[in-house]
Amino acid sequence: MGSRGGATVLQQLSRASRMRTKLQTALEASALDIEDVSHQHAGHAAMRDNNAGETHFNLKIVSPKFEGQSLVKRHRMVYDALADELQSGLHALSIVAKTPQETGPK
Amino acid sequence: MARSISNLLFKGLSFSSVPASRSSTIAPGLLYLNGMRYSTSVPNDPDTHDDFKPTDKFKGSGLSLKDIVERDVKENPVMLYMKGVPDSPQCGFSSLAVRVLSLYHVPLSARNILEDPELKNAVKAYSTWPTFPQIFIKGEFIGGSDIILNMHQNGELKEKLKDIAANQEKSE
Repeated sequence: MGSRGGATVLQQLSRASRMRTKLQTALEASALDIEDVSHQHAGHAAMRDNNAGETHFNLKIVSPKFEGQSLVKRHRMVYDALADELQSGLHALSIVAKTPQETGPK
Repeated sequence: MARSISNLLFKGLSFSSVPASRSSTIAPGLLYLNGMRYSTSVPNDPDTHDDFKPTDKFKGSGLSLKDIVERDVKENPVMLYMKGVPDSPQCGFSSLAVRVLSLYHVPLSARNILEDPELKNAVKAYSTWPTFPQIFIKGEFIGGSDIILNMHQNGELKEKLKDIAANQEKSE
């Protein structure tokens, strides 16, 4: 993250940074790791018409709001927070969603 | 990871000439799929005449797409909506879901959502889940590839598929 050219970052926030803001706000994430892996899917059948990049992300998120929620529910919470992005070209997320306790010392 | 994905894609391409009839052994009852090629390039081709564009395969059956999805998940113990077909997934996540489910030797029914954008939307609306693959077991929405992998690792999937696997043995 943050390795993009300085000038362009100011002009347009990347999807990754928008996702970061949205997840932080909606889920009060205590840890958030967003990795753009779109390049791995560049030749992907469904991606032929989408050259914009920023379509596939690996997401690791720790949020107290996941407490007591099933995995499906946690994923839904993430998808809900990112609904706009999913409508505008975000194609797939690999999600690891944990509570602070689940990531605590073993 | 990048390499494994490209291997998958390559594998997908090389398998795309597999006779369509082969998929009938994988998706029993989903005969609508069998006559279709796996190619996904046609629907977006602006030069394709309307006559040759994929049509609603379910037209005339008297069923809405929502009915189709409802029937799919009700009648098929393990129902998978994916990109590509089980023999030839068109996406790493769909491929992962197929590989995980295949470990349990249960009947796997699948539809290729790349072939039918309307079906794709109907499935999304049914599950209110934005991405694919989507897995249903005994009518219950399970989730996508992350979730199925997780359930495989923690033993939940084995538990869920136990009676399906048992029925399978009985009928053989």
